[in-house]
Amino acid sequence: MLRRYFFEILAVALIGGSLFFFKETLDYLARRDYVAAVLVMVIGVAVISVGKEMARLALVQRD
Amino acid sequence: MSEPVTTERRWRTFADVVAFALGTNVWISIVILPAIFIGALHGPGRILAALLPFAVLMLGLQRRSEVVLLGLFPAAVLVPVSLNPQLASSQVYGPLRFALVAIGVIAYLFGVSFFTTFHEPPAPRSVRMLSSAQQGPSTRWLRRERVYWGLTAMSIVIPTVLIAWVNFDDGIAAYIGAMYPGRVALMTTALTAGAIVLWLGIYHYAFLGALRPHRTGDRDLVNKLGRMRAEAKTGKPRTRFYLAVGFALVAMLSLILLRHL
Repeated sequence: MLRRYFFEILAVALIGGSLFFFKETLDYLARRDYVAAVLVMVIGVAVISVGKEMARLALVQRD
Repeated sequence: MSEPVTTERRWRTFADVVAFALGTNVWISIVILPAIFIGALHGPGRILAALLPFAVLMLGLQRRSEVVLLGLFPAAVLVPVSLNPQLASSQVYGPLRFALVAIGVIAYLFGVSFFTTFHEPPAPRSVRMLSSAQQGPSTRWLRRERVYWGLTAMSIVIPTVLIAWVNFDDGIAAYIGAMYPGRVALMTTALTAGAIVLWLGIYHYAFLGALRPHRTGDRDLVNKLGRMRAEAKTGKPRTRFYLAVGFALVAMLSLILLRHL
């Protein structure tokens, strides 16, 4: 049960946290720093993927 | 006994002829005629690029591959256009010519996707009507059929409107002319390519996404779902988890190096 809540909290934190990276991407784009924008976007996509995986594990624990 | 084989061969030949005729029409109308019109068939590189789509079409017909005919051939048609963006400029395509080319492309895609997968079944030895067959198709199937026809119509309308809008809207042409003087044809072609990519994205996520749950009898899909359930039961992250962590770490490291070195 504890494990499930841990995965759920982690999933929400990671998926929510990825928004920060996407916001940073927009800031870098506005400053025309395209390389940094692409790098931060990759980090955002990677973080949201990890969050998705955590959410999947939380669902498995629920079953 | 040899009748089904003969029927199969007849359909195969018919499908090949349809694909050849419609594919050659697409190749000539999108690559050859515009190239002759603007005088772009000079130099071995450009001639080879112009011949590439035809070679891909022949390869697809020889292998009878739907991936080559429906994926690689349309992509190969864009190669000479990307090398010489004038081929797709609005000076070459008036609204009437654009409509004719659009009809040709749609006819090719529909003809190939329909005839290459259509097989005439052998004549049955005997026929017996089931009682349920007399009631006609259920409302669920009629509803599905309406959805399929709706998706088919939208598959024609959305890309045609997007491409026509990019190429023939005066506001867009004026904006591109002001922003990129001297590169109007290049930027219009880039925008057209962007419209095609946008459409492919919409088609993949919205259209195929709606159709996928309908494939209940699909053995590949059933196997895939079974594999996913088995993976989920192990309770361990999949490979993509470790890949995502790796990508994030590499990107963070690159960002730090970029900022401080």
